[in-house]
Amino acid sequence: MEQSGTSTRLQAAVQGLASGVVSALRGGDHPHVVPAGDGAEAGDLALAAVRVLGADALLPGLVRPTPPDPAEVAVFRKAVEAYPPRPDAAPTVRWSHWGMTRALRRLDPSFLPGPSAEPDTGWLEGAGWQYLTHQLAVLAPLAVPGEECAVSALAARRPVDVARGFVRAVRRRDWRQAAGAGRWLTLLPGVPDTVGLEAGLDFVELMGGQDPLVVLQVQAARAARTGAPV
Amino acid sequence: MTDTRLIHTVGVGALEWLWAHRDGFRLEPDADPEVGFLERFKPVGELALVCKVLFREGVAGSRQAELARRLLDHVWRDTLDGGTMLVRGQRTEPASPIPFEVYLPFRELGYSQPEVERAAALNHRLDSWAALETTPTRRLGLSAFERRFGLTPRPPEPEALRATWLARTPEPWTVEGHIAYDITHCVFHLTDWGENPGGLPGDIAGYLATWLPVWIDDWLDLRRWDLLGELLVVDACLPRPTLDEPAWTAFAAAQQPDGAMPAVRAMPEGDEEAVFDVVYHSTLVAAFASVLATSRALTELARAS
Repeated sequence: MEQSGTSTRLQAAVQGLASGVVSALRGGDHPHVVPAGDGAEAGDLALAAVRVLGADALLPGLVRPTPPDPAEVAVFRKAVEAYPPRPDAAPTVRWSHWGMTRALRRLDPSFLPGPSAEPDTGWLEGAGWQYLTHQLAVLAPLAVPGEECAVSALAARRPVDVARGFVRAVRRRDWRQAAGAGRWLTLLPGVPDTVGLEAGLDFVELMGGQDPLVVLQVQAARAARTGAPV
Repeated sequence: MTDTRLIHTVGVGALEWLWAHRDGFRLEPDADPEVGFLERFKPVGELALVCKVLFREGVAGSRQAELARRLLDHVWRDTLDGGTMLVRGQRTEPASPIPFEVYLPFRELGYSQPEVERAAALNHRLDSWAALETTPTRRLGLSAFERRFGLTPRPPEPEALRATWLARTPEPWTVEGHIAYDITHCVFHLTDWGENPGGLPGDIAGYLATWLPVWIDDWLDLRRWDLLGELLVVDACLPRPTLDEPAWTAFAAAQQPDGAMPAVRAMPEGDEEAVFDVVYHSTLVAAFASVLATSRALTELARAS
């Protein structure tokens, strides 16, 4: 029961954090995206939520012209340092953490320790389009205009497959996956026009927009489409 | 690529079942006028179309070809009473295109009923026939059948095609069951039921090559075998068919030991006629998909050697 309660509280914290990111991306008055919590449990929960959201927790700071609040960056940095990937962590976990360190280096020049080497992409080599899209959607925070990495290079080689995965996710009403895949598609060259991406993202928001994690991805995709500065 | 033997075996089983259950192809001369006497002609026409494909592709084994011929003879002689029932249907509903649609494949296979032909020629002259309100895909099919019969299609097929869903290559994520059947039938009509894959315009072939794998994946997951079978037919009509292995493996596994293919998920319960009415179409489609895909697989083999 306690485990379940913690899990529910974490989910709520992630949703709250995602709502804050969405609001900030929309230019709303939401100064503190990342909660600057000092209390013990509340602080742990906030850090865990930041770790779950990954680099997207700092996305407004990356796409807005004004620099982020140093207190937010400090919390983000604590999350990066508090949750290093275990040696046996899944590739998506390693890449997510790598994405956080990349974002942190951009916004906090004092953060020196690596993401020296990128994790490898071996687990996606030769992957079927269904699995590829699922994994890319999990790693949607890496889909940032102008930010290359091995995962984005791999995605760029398979635009038709990611487009297929987007269609599959929409058909299955998996709005989070659809939104994440749609965000990647906004960045990839060679996506078939017939996918109807712009209306597709609007449709995903219409159908799945109660979930802040879906809206976050749709907003990030729109920011990428309009060429928002990063 | 899928094992050709597995694909072929699906068709062999399907035809055995259709032969064993040939009495299921039955008309209801005393049908309620609200339902209509012509309602039960559709399975007969579909059987003839699929058997024609089977003969034409020439990949059926001798047992399969013999069963197909005996099935055709059976439904022509017994079910249609040598074509008399088509005449009766035409007299019941003179402006209906159904007797003509059912008759066409039989005529192409050498059967003949002159009165149905006279009615078709007359109906073709009527503005009423050209103006008949149908779905765009069926309208395309009627134009294609007019051409095959030797009549000038009204409207011409390119014009009929423009009104269909598929011709506009819309957003692929909007496809649901009904749209998917419109897509498959549009392809059937454009290719003369697989006879002429070159009949697919390039943009439509490209669109299908891109998105068909998604729809196959989806309806495979939903275990909607009837629609999956039709999508596998579409695949076999493409310039470069995928002969999707997971789909064919699952399709073959869904087939019953006696050759029946459930329409959706598992076999229905009920008496023989009720079960026939639910699964005859998916079983016919299984035979259709099997013969076209087998033919394409053999073509690929010949090309590779």
